[in-house]
Amino acid sequence: MNELDPLLGYLCLAALLFTCGVVCMATKRNAIGVLIGVELVLNGANVNFVAFSRYHPNFQVEGMIFALFVIVMAAGEAATALAIVLNFYNNHSTVDVDSADELKG
Amino acid sequence: MPDLSEKPGLLFVLATLLPLAGFTLLLTVAAIRWALRPYAAESPTADAVFKALGGEVTGRGPAYVALGSIALAFLCCVVGFVWFCIDAAHMHHLEHDIRHYEAEHAEPHHHGPGKAKKKAKDEPADEAAKEKAAKAKADAKTKHDQNVGDYNRLTKNWEGALEWARIFPSKDNVADTKHGTLLTLGFRIDMLSAVMFVMVTLIATLIHLFSIGYMSEELQETVEDHEVHTAHGHYHRRGRYGRFFMFLSLFCFSMLNLILADNLFQIFVSWELVGICSYLLIGFYFERTSASNAANKAFITNRVGDAGFIIGLLIVWTYFGTFNFQEIFSRVRCPERDADDVILINEKPAGHSIVRAKTDRVLKTGRFVKLDSNGDVALIFPRERIMGNVPGHFHGPSSTTAVHDSPRSREYGFIPYWLLVVAGLGIFLGCVGKSAQFPLQVWLPDAMEGPTPVSALIHAATMVAAGVYLVGRCYPLFTPEVLLTIAYIGGITLFVAASIAMVVTDIKKVLAYSTVSQLGYMMLALGVGGWTAGLLHLLTHAFFKALLFLGSGSVIYGCHHQQDMLKMGGLFDKMKITALTMLVGVLAIAGTPFFSGWYSKDEILVAAFGFSMTHPQHFLLFLLPLVTAGITTFYMFRMWFMTFTGEPRDEHVYKHAEETPWVMTTPLVILAIFSVGVAWGWPPHDPEHSWLGQQLHHYSQPAAVDVDFKASHELLHGTPSYHTMVGMLALAVVAIGVAFALVLYYYNVLDPNEAVEQFPGVHKFLLHKWYFDELYSALLVRPGLIFAHWCSGFDTIVINGFVHLVAKWNMFVSYVSGLFDKGIIDGSVNLLADVSYSVGNWLRNVQTGYLRSYVLFLALAAMAIWMLLYAWATAMGGP
Repeated sequence: MNELDPLLGYLCLAALLFTCGVVCMATKRNAIGVLIGVELVLNGANVNFVAFSRYHPNFQVEGMIFALFVIVMAAGEAATALAIVLNFYNNHSTVDVDSADELKG
Repeated sequence: MPDLSEKPGLLFVLATLLPLAGFTLLLTVAAIRWALRPYAAESPTADAVFKALGGEVTGRGPAYVALGSIALAFLCCVVGFVWFCIDAAHMHHLEHDIRHYEAEHAEPHHHGPGKAKKKAKDEPADEAAKEKAAKAKADAKTKHDQNVGDYNRLTKNWEGALEWARIFPSKDNVADTKHGTLLTLGFRIDMLSAVMFVMVTLIATLIHLFSIGYMSEELQETVEDHEVHTAHGHYHRRGRYGRFFMFLSLFCFSMLNLILADNLFQIFVSWELVGICSYLLIGFYFERTSASNAANKAFITNRVGDAGFIIGLLIVWTYFGTFNFQEIFSRVRCPERDADDVILINEKPAGHSIVRAKTDRVLKTGRFVKLDSNGDVALIFPRERIMGNVPGHFHGPSSTTAVHDSPRSREYGFIPYWLLVVAGLGIFLGCVGKSAQFPLQVWLPDAMEGPTPVSALIHAATMVAAGVYLVGRCYPLFTPEVLLTIAYIGGITLFVAASIAMVVTDIKKVLAYSTVSQLGYMMLALGVGGWTAGLLHLLTHAFFKALLFLGSGSVIYGCHHQQDMLKMGGLFDKMKITALTMLVGVLAIAGTPFFSGWYSKDEILVAAFGFSMTHPQHFLLFLLPLVTAGITTFYMFRMWFMTFTGEPRDEHVYKHAEETPWVMTTPLVILAIFSVGVAWGWPPHDPEHSWLGQQLHHYSQPAAVDVDFKASHELLHGTPSYHTMVGMLALAVVAIGVAFALVLYYYNVLDPNEAVEQFPGVHKFLLHKWYFDELYSALLVRPGLIFAHWCSGFDTIVINGFVHLVAKWNMFVSYVSGLFDKGIIDGSVNLLADVSYSVGNWLRNVQTGYLRSYVLFLALAAMAIWMLLYAWATAMGGP
């Protein structure tokens, strides 16, 4: 329990970050805002990885590596998503995700 | 084509085929014109061909074709006739020699060699004389064989046959003697058919000539039929000149084929062909209801007769296995001498008679066949042993017999006697229909609706006489019972028809009834043993009745289609040739001495007299024709006086009446000459010696006639004074008839109308033709119609009802089946589809397209999954 005390703090921070990100994604109408929410969620997860890597003996290496993967993937994701947003803007002159409802059933 | 000199009989075949060729030509041209007519207006080529073939109305071309073909046929017939007469005389001599030889040599043959030996013992032999006798005998034998050869060759010259249809598929069955296997088309010329050929072609030629004038109205592009009324006045139609001559040609062919035929079946086919020609020509003006009704009546009445004919044919075919006349007769009538047997009935030779036997009593004792005479079967003689010998028809020499001594040749067949009677009655019924005898006489007077030349050719001279011809042809087939029926039917007919002829006023109807009456005379003659007399009367009647009809046609043409004698009178000055030639015809039919009718009628009366002398219970058969001779004279003179003498009864008709052109008067003159002289002979005052009658008697009369009527013939030959007596009686009756006619219609001493008022009942009875039409209408036509109506009702109500019911039931079942299909089958499939659709539709709502909602769902789903896992974990026993 004692060794894990600091971990609890990180986990809470990560949960907070994750929740903030999800809420940001669910509420923002601006595509950029949504992307920011995505970054928050990813980074919340990253915090978890890193925390487990530091405080849990089973995840010392894995936590690091997954965190690195997530960062790389986040970079790719951001690039792709921004490209989509730019194109979306070119077509609709807006970045309001609510106007992108053409995929509805 | 075979050499004519080898088969001169082909001349007659040629004569038969010529009108057929004419008919075919006319039919082909008519068919092409018919096919081209719709295109003539559009295509110039079609128009040119159409015009070349005669255009809208053909002109006189068809008449020339028909006339040419029948005239050529006439020439062939004349040549053939002369040739045949020479051959027939030759054959007669040969036959005489052969019979003579046979009679000399038959004796020892029959009495066996025993007797001859005895004789030889009695007389001492003189070698030289014996040798001489043997040599003479050998010479005689050579001569005899030569004679037989010549005789057979000559016979073969005048007959021939083609295989037509074979019922057994195999040719090996030819030898089947019991069953009929073969139908042939054949010809066999004897004196009767040769004379008939000349008569038919001559009269047909003259009538063709007459028709060229008589039918000239049909040449117009549009003919107005005054007797057909439509909403727009009289009926107008295209002229039918070509059609008339086409039918005439077909008729001539059929009629000649009927005479030519050597078998019953070919006759039957021609019989129907002439019937259809008669139908077509009676209904020539078919727009007139009366004409089409008359055509139907003629056709249907003839069907009744033909039904009997077919029954007769079936019996003949079944029992004799052949339709060939010669074969039938040789099988029905006993041969004079069968190969080596003599057939005896009660110890007397039975040659030429129909042999009745009891099946168990046919005994063969040595050379003789002994028979009981009054059994219930008739003997059918084997075919082989009497081939070539024709005991029924010719006195053919029996030594020409080709005897195959096979076991079968001794087999005799049997036919139940009553069936032989039925066969005879059936064939006679056919003749009754065709020759308009009682009780089927009703159609002939109505048949006068046809054009007059048709009445003259078909309904007076030739077709209606075909019945008489057939009775004469089939004579050996008839049993005594049938012959008596024929005689009585003839007797009734001649009286009934003559009595009606006294009161009718339509000039053609008078002649029609007169025809029926004269045909009755012929039938009567055939039935009482006057075979020659009956057929001679057929020939003479053909000439004078054709003359009378053409004369009436000339009158009708001259009076612009006025047929009622009440509107004529005093026409003698206007149409002298017609009047005089008709007077010749009237004198001939009345039986004025030295006119042709006298010869034949006298002979008939003599035959009837002989018959009623030997059979006193049948005295009516003499009385009826005798009385009717007077009636005939009366109504014929009445007709002539009413038409040609006295004051004109109708000014309009009289004023416009005129003599007809030469094409119509020439045939009248020629026919008048023949009506006078066709039966002449030497010495002319003796009807027995009529040349034509002699020809028929010697060369064609079946030997059976003399056998069947032996008693009456012997009586007549024994007492020549009977001839004179009967002749005088007839003349007296005729004189009475003339006297009545003169008193009533020429001198007008008595007013005919007053005479009629004396006997109103009789007059009405006669005017209604003995109520035959009414009787048939009540007995047959009306019940027939009622039955037909009933059938029609049954058809509409029961049959149609049933069909409709089935249809309705079907519809109902289909409706229910449709409901099931739509409701259950389609419904379940549709329900599935509907459910899928609505589920899908509802799920659409989830897909908002909003990114936010997706995220929300993701989060909520993740939470839900987590909570589920959590709940599951707690349920599994704490964390």
